[in-house]
Amino acid sequence: MIGRAPRWPTIVLGIFGFIWIIPIIGIVMTSIRPLAETSRGWWRIDSFTLTLSAWQRVWEAYPLAPAFVTTAILAALATVGTMLLTPAAAYAFHFLKFPFRRLLLIIIINAFVLPQQVVIIPLFQLWRELGLIDNFLAVLIPYIGLSFAWSIFLVKNFLEDFPTEVVEASRIDGAGPLQTFWYIVLPNSLSSVFATGILQFLWTWNALLLPLLYLRTNVPLPVILARVNGTYELNWDLQSVAAIVTTVVPLVVFLIFQRQFAAGAETRTGAKD
Amino acid sequence: MNMHKLTSKVRRRAVLAGASLAIVLAAMPVLAQDLSGELVILQWQGGTDAEMWQKLEADFTAKNPGVAVRELVVTGQGDMRGPMRTALLGGEKVDIIINTWPAFRAELVDAGILRPIDDLWASAGLDAVLDPSWKDLGSTAGVTYGVNYTYGDRSAIWYKKAHLEKAGVEPPKTWEEFLASLDKLKAAGFAAPIAMPAKYWAHGEWFETLLLRTGGVEAASKLAAHEIPWTDDIVKTTLKKYAELLKAGCCGTPEQMFAGDWDYSADQIFTADASNYLMIGMWMNSRARNDYKLNEGVDYSIFQFPALGLGHDDTSSVDAKEVAVTANGANPAAADAFAVYMVSKDAADILASYGYASPSKNADPSLLGPVQQVATAAVAQSKVQFVLGDLLPGDLVDEYRVQLQKFLQDPSDATIDAVTAAIEAKAQELY
Amino acid sequence: MQETVASRTVDARPGSPARSGGEQSNRLATRLRMGDWPAAWLLITPVLILFGIAVVFPLIDTIRLSFFDIKGLAKPKFIGVGNYVKLFTDPAFRNTLLTTLTFTISTTIISVGLGWMLAMVSAFAPRQTLPFRVMIFAAFGISEAVAGYMWIGILRPDAGGLLNAVIGLVQPGFAQPWLGDPRTALWVLIIAASWGGVGLPLMLCFASVQSIPKTLFEAAYIDGANHWQVMRNIMMPLSLPGVRVAVFINLLGALRAFDIIYILTGGGPVRSTETVGYFMYRESMTQFKLGYGAAATVVLLVAVLVVSIPAIIQRTAGAR
Repeated sequence: MIGRAPRWPTIVLGIFGFIWIIPIIGIVMTSIRPLAETSRGWWRIDSFTLTLSAWQRVWEAYPLAPAFVTTAILAALATVGTMLLTPAAAYAFHFLKFPFRRLLLIIIINAFVLPQQVVIIPLFQLWRELGLIDNFLAVLIPYIGLSFAWSIFLVKNFLEDFPTEVVEASRIDGAGPLQTFWYIVLPNSLSSVFATGILQFLWTWNALLLPLLYLRTNVPLPVILARVNGTYELNWDLQSVAAIVTTVVPLVVFLIFQRQFAAGAETRTGAKD
Repeated sequence: MNMHKLTSKVRRRAVLAGASLAIVLAAMPVLAQDLSGELVILQWQGGTDAEMWQKLEADFTAKNPGVAVRELVVTGQGDMRGPMRTALLGGEKVDIIINTWPAFRAELVDAGILRPIDDLWASAGLDAVLDPSWKDLGSTAGVTYGVNYTYGDRSAIWYKKAHLEKAGVEPPKTWEEFLASLDKLKAAGFAAPIAMPAKYWAHGEWFETLLLRTGGVEAASKLAAHEIPWTDDIVKTTLKKYAELLKAGCCGTPEQMFAGDWDYSADQIFTADASNYLMIGMWMNSRARNDYKLNEGVDYSIFQFPALGLGHDDTSSVDAKEVAVTANGANPAAADAFAVYMVSKDAADILASYGYASPSKNADPSLLGPVQQVATAAVAQSKVQFVLGDLLPGDLVDEYRVQLQKFLQDPSDATIDAVTAAIEAKAQELY
Repeated sequence: MQETVASRTVDARPGSPARSGGEQSNRLATRLRMGDWPAAWLLITPVLILFGIAVVFPLIDTIRLSFFDIKGLAKPKFIGVGNYVKLFTDPAFRNTLLTTLTFTISTTIISVGLGWMLAMVSAFAPRQTLPFRVMIFAAFGISEAVAGYMWIGILRPDAGGLLNAVIGLVQPGFAQPWLGDPRTALWVLIIAASWGGVGLPLMLCFASVQSIPKTLFEAAYIDGANHWQVMRNIMMPLSLPGVRVAVFINLLGALRAFDIIYILTGGGPVRSTETVGYFMYRESMTQFKLGYGAAATVVLLVAVLVVSIPAIIQRTAGAR
């Protein structure tokens, strides 16, 4: 972008990049070496034995495979839910006029200060009344409901840059507000919707607190990880495998979609062109 | 009705369960249907413990083919009472609750969740199986709720034999010998002979046994019930004894103590060979055997806390696990049968194969490993008191552990006054 | 509205229709909005329902619970403002407020600051730095709990900790108990918590910088500006919007932090690393003092609202 690239940025980023993956290397090393070798520091290489024993044992000892499926279902549904509902609401808040628009918007986008801990107990009691404990809805509803505070903020921020003329032209041509949304605004704000989706996917994939309390039969990976950790055994190797299994999907998703993400989460200067 | 089911259940196990049961059964002839239905167990344990429970459940259902056991598994971080409460408040109905906290039992009783088992105790002849002291441990306000199925010595100090040999130390019997051994171990190159895991709670272990040895079980239970204040001289003397350890340079700097949990401390002794003594519960045994691949009784062993010479050296701190039956469970008959099963010989054998001691008279102590045998012998000769940390209300435990951390930072008399006053202030709010 | 130099500059770029004749089109838009409300309600109703269940209801219920004394499984007892009185006399709680402030501000400054700087640096060589940006992003996808385990291996107090081992190369036998020393525990915790947060601002700001028209840079270089001046005078102001979003999302994370604190320090030593989020979780989930935990939550909410009022006013204006 700025003529021939100088060398020093690569060196600076290289140094940080390698420092940044040290913890990740640590957890990989712990998962593929016998405990005896890593218990005094995974980085010691006085003796190095490669073993996949932990990788084999953990599947037998813990229901990682079904948990993987559960996590995928939950994260996918929560992500789709947010990706469908957020742009619609953001569009309505930005381009349409209706009573209480401003008040509702203020309430929703300021709810981001709410820590997740707030919802645990009241929702727990509500789910109990409704018999929703151990039902996927018990986590999906708060996953999606809580996401609006930041997702609407993100998408609306993007729409601030959306050319008003285009919307107006569409309306003058006789399109109703819904058609305008569906044919004009939505297709042109997909990158921000994707950005929202990626963040939501990452966060719901890694969510621990809500499924820990609301789900029992089919639980997602972070809960299994807490279970592997919550024993009296020395099982850093198993924990590492469980951690890697838990982490790998969001990482891949993130890496695949990072371009959309960067483009969409952008605000005022927006990469809309 | 329940009784009939129960006796039938017991009858089929009478051969194993001993003479007293046989007599009960002779008096109550067979009127019985077999047990049936689903038995729901609230399970919060993981790893090997969970595996052992599956064996116990399988054995129980093999004996009672009509019963299907379902585990309601809860997961949590740290204190498992959190997820258990959540499940129970959430309206989950279970038949059996596995409990290891007397304070939690009291809470469950207050909430009307537990069913008293004094009648069961009499009809199943449990007096012949468990000593009265175990019955007391399973009681709240004079009513029995829990059948203790396993216990562990919490006044044992773990060591690696090679370390003591290297320093020319015999397992110390008295406090003076113990203090002297610290110097010898330091001279042998171990900078911090005691691994003190003060990150979360394990630094309280030393306090709790010292308290027993200073004031006896009576004082300790009074303190737990706040019948004597935390500013009492017994507490202060206990802390002064604790301070003797710290002043002898037992454990490195306070910062080092705060940095580790018991896992880390165990590593320091058994794999890093950097420390020598660890005071922790009997779960350490399976860690040493299975994870560190050490030879029980050969590579490592335990000795009971050294004699303090204050007149209460016949005391030990213990932990225990009990099964309690619920008042709202759907299958009380099977729950009762299961509670009785847990102190049978077969159950004790399964427990022993996992290295757990059973308080049942049906248990065969020779099945236990050498280290557990040392521990059970020591407990058998002691007046026992439950781990203090599990008797105190949750809030106070927290304050108590934090104040003990402050004490570790500076074990002076002034700190002892400040620390005891702070715990007392918290206790005043709570009782 | 939060009009910045940045956006004006960019909007002024050739071919961008965005703001031209903004005032006029706004009036037109207003007219067009008449009669929109059935469609609008159709679009936002699902959001309002889910938001109501997941946020509004728990919030109201939390306020209600905060007036009750609840101990474990026992029946709740109404005690008025008792929990609040207790909170403000609880030294442990007052302590958490300060710790929260330090923790939140520091993690945000470190992750956003570092991410921002690295974004600008990498903009000088976008292609060559891509793999390293990916490495740094990777940490963002890792959950707090997993990150906690990873950091334990680095911060162990003996020479088995990587950090001690590295320092040990220069100073043999070095063994600082990072997490056990009250002087260092909070700071290493902050660094560990910031580690995962750098990726997001890096990416957002990088995208901001990428979208700056090349002509601006060319002009600057022709005028004889060096890299530093380009960074200081063009990239920095023009990537501010990315920074804003990153700060917002980081604050969110810092207030919620629990797992990483629990795993690394357990709130200690001697409560020196207990944040309000941690305190709330401990009181309500492990101690099950739901009422007390609820009161702490309400206090946190009020505190955050007070602190963020300037931002809210700004954003309210932005809500048009």
